[in-house]
Amino acid sequence: METAVEMKITNDFSFKKQAWLQFRKNKLAFYSFRILLFLIGLALVSPFVATDQPLYCKYKGVNMFPAFSLSNNCEIKSEDGTIEMIQYDMEDWKHLAATTIIFAPIPYAPNKSDFENADYVSPAGKQLFLNKEGKSILIPFKFRHWLGTNKRGEDVFSGLINGTRVSLTIGILSMGIASILGILLGAMAGYFGDHKLQTSRGAFWTFILGIVLAYFYAFSVRSYAIVDSFGISTFSIFCELILSLLIFSIILYLFYRVGQLVGRISFLKKIVTIPVDSIISRLIEILMSMPLLILIISLSAIAKEKSMVNLMVIIGLTTWTGIARLTRAEFLRISKLEYIQAAQSMGFNEFRIIFKHALPNGLAPALTAIAFGVASAILIESSLSFLGIGVPPTTVTWGSLLNSGWQQFSAWWLVFFPGMAIFITVTVYNMLGEGVRDALDPRLKK
Amino acid sequence: MLRYIFKRILIFIPTLIAITLLGFMISVNAPGDPVERMVVASQDGGETAAQAINQIEQKKIWRKKLGLDLPIFYFSLSPFSFPDTLYKIYDKNEREALGRLIHQYGNWKEIEEYYASLNNFYKEQAAFVLDTNEIRFVDRSAILETLNQIRFEALSLKSSYTPSVIDLKISNIEKLLSLFPFLSKLQITFSTSKANYNKIKYTSTVWKNYIPKIIFYGYKNQYHRWLFGDGGNYSKGLIHGDFGTSYITKQPVSDVIYSKIGWSLLFSMLSVILAYLISIPVGIKAAAKRGSRFDKTTSAIFFMLYSMPSFWLATLLLMTFANPDMLHLFPASGVKPAFGYPESASLFQKIKASIPYIILPLICFTYSSFGFLSRIMRGAMLEVLEQDYIRTAYAKGVPENTVIWKHALRNALLPIITVFANVFPAAIGGSIIIESIFTIPGIGSEAVYAIQNNNYPVIIAALTISGFLTLLGYLISDILYAIVDPRISYN
Repeated sequence: METAVEMKITNDFSFKKQAWLQFRKNKLAFYSFRILLFLIGLALVSPFVATDQPLYCKYKGVNMFPAFSLSNNCEIKSEDGTIEMIQYDMEDWKHLAATTIIFAPIPYAPNKSDFENADYVSPAGKQLFLNKEGKSILIPFKFRHWLGTNKRGEDVFSGLINGTRVSLTIGILSMGIASILGILLGAMAGYFGDHKLQTSRGAFWTFILGIVLAYFYAFSVRSYAIVDSFGISTFSIFCELILSLLIFSIILYLFYRVGQLVGRISFLKKIVTIPVDSIISRLIEILMSMPLLILIISLSAIAKEKSMVNLMVIIGLTTWTGIARLTRAEFLRISKLEYIQAAQSMGFNEFRIIFKHALPNGLAPALTAIAFGVASAILIESSLSFLGIGVPPTTVTWGSLLNSGWQQFSAWWLVFFPGMAIFITVTVYNMLGEGVRDALDPRLKK
Repeated sequence: MLRYIFKRILIFIPTLIAITLLGFMISVNAPGDPVERMVVASQDGGETAAQAINQIEQKKIWRKKLGLDLPIFYFSLSPFSFPDTLYKIYDKNEREALGRLIHQYGNWKEIEEYYASLNNFYKEQAAFVLDTNEIRFVDRSAILETLNQIRFEALSLKSSYTPSVIDLKISNIEKLLSLFPFLSKLQITFSTSKANYNKIKYTSTVWKNYIPKIIFYGYKNQYHRWLFGDGGNYSKGLIHGDFGTSYITKQPVSDVIYSKIGWSLLFSMLSVILAYLISIPVGIKAAAKRGSRFDKTTSAIFFMLYSMPSFWLATLLLMTFANPDMLHLFPASGVKPAFGYPESASLFQKIKASIPYIILPLICFTYSSFGFLSRIMRGAMLEVLEQDYIRTAYAKGVPENTVIWKHALRNALLPIITVFANVFPAAIGGSIIIESIFTIPGIGSEAVYAIQNNNYPVIIAALTISGFLTLLGYLISDILYAIVDPRISYN
C-alpha cells in the first residue's frame, strides 16, 4: 500500500535527491552540515557581533548606528552652534556620556588593545575597568572579557569570531580557485586522453603562436601596470588581473579561429594528435612532488605584498592537483560510457559534452576532495599564521592567537580556545567530506 | 618490467628539471639585492665620495662572483623597444627605472644616451676637487653640504622614472648648481643630461612596445650557471651539489644543509617506523572484527587525531608535560641537554641522554599518519578477507590467527608498502612547524629561519632537496609496486 509520500518519492527521483536523502540519513554528517551553516552564519554577522562600535547610540539627541553605517563619522551640532565630530572607529564608546547605548554582544574589536586588562588576563581572573572618574574598578558584567586577553589586551573571544570569518573565507575561496583549475584540467585530461584531441597541423601551430602572443600582450606588456596595482588596493589587483585574463582569452580565441582557417590550406592539413593526458599528468606530477608548505611559504615570501588575497591565490594554485587527479580518473571511466558515445554521434561540440553531460556525473569524487581540501586549506592558513609567515602582521586569526599562547604557557585560554575552534572547524569539514563521499557512492545505498 | 622501470626513470629527469626551474624562478624574483647584502656596510661614519666609488667596485666584483651580470635564461620574450643588454646594468633600482622609461617612451637609443650622460655627471661631481683659491670667501661647510645634496639628488635621479619626479629633481640640481660660481663646469655637463632627457620626450616611439621579439642568449645565463657552474671559478653548479652561498653566514649552503639534515632524517625515519608499528596491528584487528567496538572507537579516535592541527597538539603537550607548573616530565625544547653531551659519552649514552627530548616531537610527527595508515590497512584487509581463498582456508579448519597473519596479511600489505615511499619525504615538508616549536636543529627550522631573514639560497636549496626526495619516493614506490605485485604488467 503506497502512501502519498512514497508515491511522490518514486515519481520524483533524481540522483541529486537520492544523494541528499542518503546524506541526511548519516546523522553525524548531517549535524556537521548544520554546524557548518552556523559557522558560515557567524562569519557573515561577525562585524556586528564582535566590534567595539555600538549597534545603536543616542547621544545629544542624535541617533547613530555606528556598527552598521558605512561612513566613519558623524557631526553633531549642539544648541550653541559648536560642532562636535564623532569618529566611529576612534571614539571611546564605553566612556561616552550617551543617553542610550546598545553594544554588540562582544563589545571589543579583535585588534584593539584594552590597556586596563593587558598582559594575559585570564577569563576567570580579576578584570579591571576605568570608570568615568578615572578610578580602576572591577569590570562591569557587560564589558567582561569572557575568554581572557592576550599580552596587548586584545579580547580573545572577538579574535575567535573574527578568525572564523578569515578562516572560512580563505578555505572557501582558495578551494574555489583550486576546484575550478582542478576540475577543468582533470576533465580535459580524462576525456581527451592521449589520442582523442586531433587538429590539423596548421591550426595547432597557429594556436601555439597565439598562446605566446596572448601571453606577451596580456602579461609582458602590462607587467608594470599589474605590479603597480599591487600597491594600490585589492580591488585594483582584481581589475588588472581580470583585464589581463580578458585580453589573453580574446587573443587566444582570435588565433583559434584563424587556426581553423589556416588548417584548410592543403599542406598544413595533416592531422596531429595532442597528448593532453600526458601533458596534464606530468604537470600534476611536478606540482605534487613539491613540498607543499615550503612552496607556499616561498611563494608568499616573494609576493610583493603580504595580504590574505595573496595567500588565497597561492594556496589555490598549489592544491588543485588532488582534485585534478580524481576528476581525471572519473572522466577516464565516464568517457567510455554509452551515453557519451550517443552524444558524440549526435554531433555535439566536445566541450558541450564535457560540461553538460559528463561533468554532472563525474563530480562526485571531486566534491569529496573539495570538502577535505577546505579542511586542509584552513589548516595551512592557521599553520602559516602560527609561524607568522605570509600573513599581514596585524591580522588576528586563530593561528596568531595560538602563537601568543605558545609564547606564554600559563595563558591556557590562548591555547585551548583557538585550537578548539580550528579543531571543530576542520572536523566538521572532514565529516562533511566523509558524508558526501558515502552519500554519493551508490554502492553504499541504505 | 625492466622497460617500465627504465621508462619511469626517464620521466623522472624532466620532472627534476622542472622542479629546479621552479626553484630558480622563485629565487630570481626574490626581493632585495644579494649584492647589497654581500658588500657589508663596512664604512662607519659618513660616506665620502671615494668610499662610494670603492663600494661600486666591490659590488661589481660580487656581481661577477654571484653570476648576476648574466642574463637570466637562455632566451627571453620582450617588447621590441627593449635592448638585448639591459641585464648588464648592475643596480636593480636603476635597471627598473630604465625599464619603466622604455615602457613610457619606447626609444632605447635616446634613453641610453640620457643614462650615459647622467653617469658622466655623477662621476664628474664625485671627482670634483675643491680649488682652494676660489673658495677663500665662502663657508667651507656650506660648500660640502651643497656637494652632498647634489650627489644625493644625482644618485636618486638615476633611479627615477616618473616624469614629475624627474622634473623636480632636475630643477633641484640646477638650483643647487647655480649657488656657487665655481660649479659651472658641472653645470655644462648637467645641461647635456637635461637636453638628452628632453630629446627622449620628443622622439618617443611608444608603438615599439607592442611588438614582441625573442632574444637568444645562449649558454651564458644564470640558470645554466646555477645548474652547471661556471667552470669551477666560484660555483660548481647544482649538478655537483653546490647550492650557493648563504647570505647570513657567508658559508656554502651545502655545508649548512648537510649538517642539519641528520636530525630531520632521524625524526622522519623514527616517525615512519612508529606509525607503521601502531597502524598495522590496529588496522588488522579492526578489519578482522569489523563493526565491533574496537573498530568503531579506533576509527573515531584516529579521525579526531587527523583533524587536530599539529601545532595545537604540540602546544597542548608542551603545556601539560613540559610545564614547570604542571607535570615536568619532558624538556621543552632542543634535542640534547643544554650543556651538550658529557665528554666521554659513547653513542649509546648519547642516545639515552637524548631520549626525553625526542619523545614529544616524535608524537607530534607521527599522530596524523595513524588515521591514514590504519584506514588503508583496514580497507586492504577487508578486501582480502572477502576473497574465496580465505573462505577455503577457514573451511579447511585453519585457525583464525594463522589465516589472518599468514595468508591474508601478505596480500593486504601491498598498498602499505607502496605508501611507505610517499610517507617518508612528506615528513620533511611537515617538519617545519614541529621543528620550529620544539627548536630541533633540522632542515625545517633552518628553512623557517632563512625565510624570516630573506636568505634565499637556503630556501631554494630546501625546496630543491625536498622536491628531489619526494620524486625519489614516488619513483621507489612505483617500482616497488611493479616488483611486488605480479599481477601488474605495464605494456
